[in-house]
Amino acid sequence: MAAPADVIPRRPTLLFIVVLALLFFLMSLSSRTRYIGETRTMFERSVMILFAPIPKTVNWAGQSMSDVYHGYLDMRRSVGENLQLHRQIDELTTENLRLRQSEGDLRRLRSLLGYSEEFTMPTTMAEPVMLDISGRFKSIILDRGSNTGIEVNDAVVNASGLIGRVVLTTKDMAKVQLITDGNSSVGVLIDRTRRQGVLRGDGAAGAQLYDIPSLSDVKPGDVVMTAGIDGIYPKGIPVGVVTKAEKGQDLFKTIVVRPSIDFGSIEEVIVLHTRKIPNDVVRYTP
Amino acid sequence: MRWLRFAVGLLIALTLHSLLDSFFPNALAFFNPYVILVVYYSMGGNVFGAIIAGVIAGLVQDAYSGAMFGLHAFALTVCAYAVASINSRLVLRGTLAFGACLVGAVIVNELVIYILVNILLKQKVEMFEQGMIVKTVFTCLFGMIVYLLLTLFLREEPIDATRRPAGW
Repeated sequence: MAAPADVIPRRPTLLFIVVLALLFFLMSLSSRTRYIGETRTMFERSVMILFAPIPKTVNWAGQSMSDVYHGYLDMRRSVGENLQLHRQIDELTTENLRLRQSEGDLRRLRSLLGYSEEFTMPTTMAEPVMLDISGRFKSIILDRGSNTGIEVNDAVVNASGLIGRVVLTTKDMAKVQLITDGNSSVGVLIDRTRRQGVLRGDGAAGAQLYDIPSLSDVKPGDVVMTAGIDGIYPKGIPVGVVTKAEKGQDLFKTIVVRPSIDFGSIEEVIVLHTRKIPNDVVRYTP
Repeated sequence: MRWLRFAVGLLIALTLHSLLDSFFPNALAFFNPYVILVVYYSMGGNVFGAIIAGVIAGLVQDAYSGAMFGLHAFALTVCAYAVASINSRLVLRGTLAFGACLVGAVIVNELVIYILVNILLKQKVEMFEQGMIVKTVFTCLFGMIVYLLLTLFLREEPIDATRRPAGW
């Protein structure tokens, strides 16, 4: 129902004065209630309730944005930490590999050093720089040469056994003929029976033992060592193990020996400066 | 339509009030969004509507501030009446005119609050002059920017000609 026309103030000034008076009354009421403990009038509370969703929504939105922002910052920090940790893992893995490598090297060098101390003659440590074991002529090239006292016919060994002999030297390099080379011959003996023979390379990965009579006691598994009778190799260096011993066509046995060295994994070697037999002694015939 | 715009403006002002309260608690000492709203509305020259707008905006501001309930409503009603009365006689248009009205309104608003607090609560307002100057500058600048944006992007004069005959 529409309000009567005379209820609505005709002039805004009148309305203004009425409104100000009402507000002044409201303020007085509010200022008085503050002193008796009631800090909010009913009207004030009603206005607050009416508009309450807005501050609540703003607060919720602000809180959510703050959470999202801080979540984003945390995520950025986590990503950074993750990258840093990955880098650390990579560095530590590399260092771990290096240390493992060093530990292996140390163990190997210690055993090699201990082995070299068993020899009475002068020795030189060397490392292979080239390895040719695929062809018929098996050889390796060492990083030391005549400058360090290496000479032709010096024996080359490592902790596992006999490798070969020096066949050529330069100032800083030496070529070694392996015992598996087809032209290689080594005076050896069977450790168990002390029977002597000659080991020749088969040009592949093994060697054959010659000049062992058919009646000799040789079995697979027998250890073959240098005999020290060829003027090159000192006595007692492990050469290999007999893998096959059969009766041959003539008076001798056919014996196959597997070298104690894995020629594909040679890392350090010892060059034994063996005492050479003078040529005139070798050539002398009574 | 004008009342709808006022309602939306009031919601925005309250949102701004809540936001500033939450994140920059002291910001409302230097800036009053309700004055901008009331002046914007009152520049239409409709004195009756301006008084109602001033009361409503002031009561909402009172409800969410710690002052006496009715204090800001009183001050804003005075501002609204003054601005609307002036605009019912003069044709004030443009950003500068709006800024000038805002400056006047903020000063009147602060003076009214100062007097009422003195009378009713017998309290002195600390650093009144400095606070008033800062609030005037910031409110005026912000209000002019809002006015410019409204005229540029909504492509409408914020205050339509709503003048009543002088006798109303």
